Amino acid sequence: MMLAKIILTAIPFIWTIGMVPFVNQVKPLVLGVPFFAFWMIAGIFVCFLCIHGLYYIDSKKNRAG
Amino acid sequence: MSDQTSALLIIFLFVISVTILGMIPGMRDSTKGGMKLEDWAVGGRNFGRWLNWFILAGEIYTAFAFLGASGWAYARGGPTFYILGYGALAYLVGYYILPAMSPVGRKYNLMTQPDLIEHLYSSKTLGILTAVIGIAFLLPYLQLQLTGLGLIIETCSYGQITRVPAMLIAFTMVAAFVYLSGLKGVATTAVVKDVIMIVAIMFFGIYLPTHYFGSIGGMFEALDAAKPGFLSLPGGTKNLDVSWVMSTLVVTSLGFYMWPHFATNSFSAKNPEVLRHNAVYLPLYQICLLFPMLVGFTALLVLATPLKTPDMAFMVIVQQLFPGWVLGLVGGAGALACMIPAGDLLLSTSMLFTRNVYGRTLGKELTAHEQGRMARFVVLALTAIALSLAIFLPNMLVNLLLTGYSGVTQFFPMIVLGLFWKKATRIGAYSGLIVGEILVFGLILGKLDPLAVGGMNLNAGFVALFFNLITYVAVSLATCSAEHPVSAKARDL
Repeated sequence: MMLAKIILTAIPFIWTIGMVPFVNQVKPLVLGVPFFAFWMIAGIFVCFLCIHGLYYIDSKKNRAG
Repeated sequence: MSDQTSALLIIFLFVISVTILGMIPGMRDSTKGGMKLEDWAVGGRNFGRWLNWFILAGEIYTAFAFLGASGWAYARGGPTFYILGYGALAYLVGYYILPAMSPVGRKYNLMTQPDLIEHLYSSKTLGILTAVIGIAFLLPYLQLQLTGLGLIIETCSYGQITRVPAMLIAFTMVAAFVYLSGLKGVATTAVVKDVIMIVAIMFFGIYLPTHYFGSIGGMFEALDAAKPGFLSLPGGTKNLDVSWVMSTLVVTSLGFYMWPHFATNSFSAKNPEVLRHNAVYLPLYQICLLFPMLVGFTALLVLATPLKTPDMAFMVIVQQLFPGWVLGLVGGAGALACMIPAGDLLLSTSMLFTRNVYGRTLGKELTAHEQGRMARFVVLALTAIALSLAIFLPNMLVNLLLTGYSGVTQFFPMIVLGLFWKKATRIGAYSGLIVGEILVFGLILGKLDPLAVGGMNLNAGFVALFFNLITYVAVSLATCSAEHPVSAKARDL
């Protein structure tokens, strides 16, 4: 479970910060926004899902404990 | 009715009604002999899920979100997109930090960030130092709200009412409801403000590009054709490149919850569960920040004359396209976006000063009643200080905020490692903090932000944080055998 939490915490940081050098481009426009902006917005959803996962793990642990 | 009158009338209605709304909780309590300090400062520590969520959200969507994001898009292009990234990461950081802080706060009756530091390191002096630094960085933040408000009212009155009287009037009102109702006043008004703001921002963010270019994609296509490269990094700037964005994202995501007023909010939650739950849904709020950017980009393509103040892009384009009453509505929402966070900032700054600077240097314990009286008085004094700063030293909104972020991020090692790391020591905290803040001030005042090193442009706050952290850990390790580790006490719940 600890490993799962570490992974869920790391993913958003890698997505939003680590990937910046590789996504710095205007084209292709995705859903009408420049690629770099799209990547950042997608990062918000990735982060939302990861925090959701953490919350799920923690609330399960609290119920069990 | 002329455009000018209707715009002003609407803004005035907004400001007045919010002030009254903010005063209600304080009025209700005055029948029972006034609000108790704990009620006034941390809302009686019983804010449930939604109220807490609105306070957090209410502070995030400030003048900066409204004007700064569109101003950056207008002037700088690509680097603006970093703003979309840091919020969600900050909530992830908060998911770990806030639930750890909240129970400590409840158990030891802490109300402010320096209270927590003083508790963690059993050191009055370190608490005072943290409070002084916190106030120094909160003031520009408060000034940012003021400056934004002045700009908005100036535009909405078509230049009839100048900035200074506008700021004076609105801030008298903010001071009034904070004085009476404290945090509860801020929370009730935040709910109203958020709804109005999100509607306004989304409407214009979608309507304006669609109106001129057929779709959001059409607008970006046109902008990319007109200014190739403007929408990627470094966009319209020389040095806000990939390395700057990466280092700035680190600074802002770690520094987000280091703002002193956020500590106050985590102490106002009923239980840690509330804070964890909020962290799950807050990131989605960040998507709204794209809309003011869309407005800024559209303004760049559409407005014929270049703007002297890029932060005015949003207001100017609305003024040119729509009748006065629409401008009034937007201005009203914008005014609230400045007033409500300002209320919260005033409250936090006044608590920092009263409890952690005045109360501690006096050397005697202030009673809760004395603290409450003093804190309310300090609210008025701070309003005056921030007003004079805004009048005599206006500055571009974002630069101010970035300075503040670099500064408060330096608290990160001290607070987070103090909460979680067994070997943290008081001397380590002092050394890290002092190294970090000296570097921040040195780099920013020396015009070395961003700092060019080895082909990279790093955010000054990032450079300072790096050395701060190394110092903190090294000194703590060197001194931890000699001193009783601090964090054992914090976890002693």
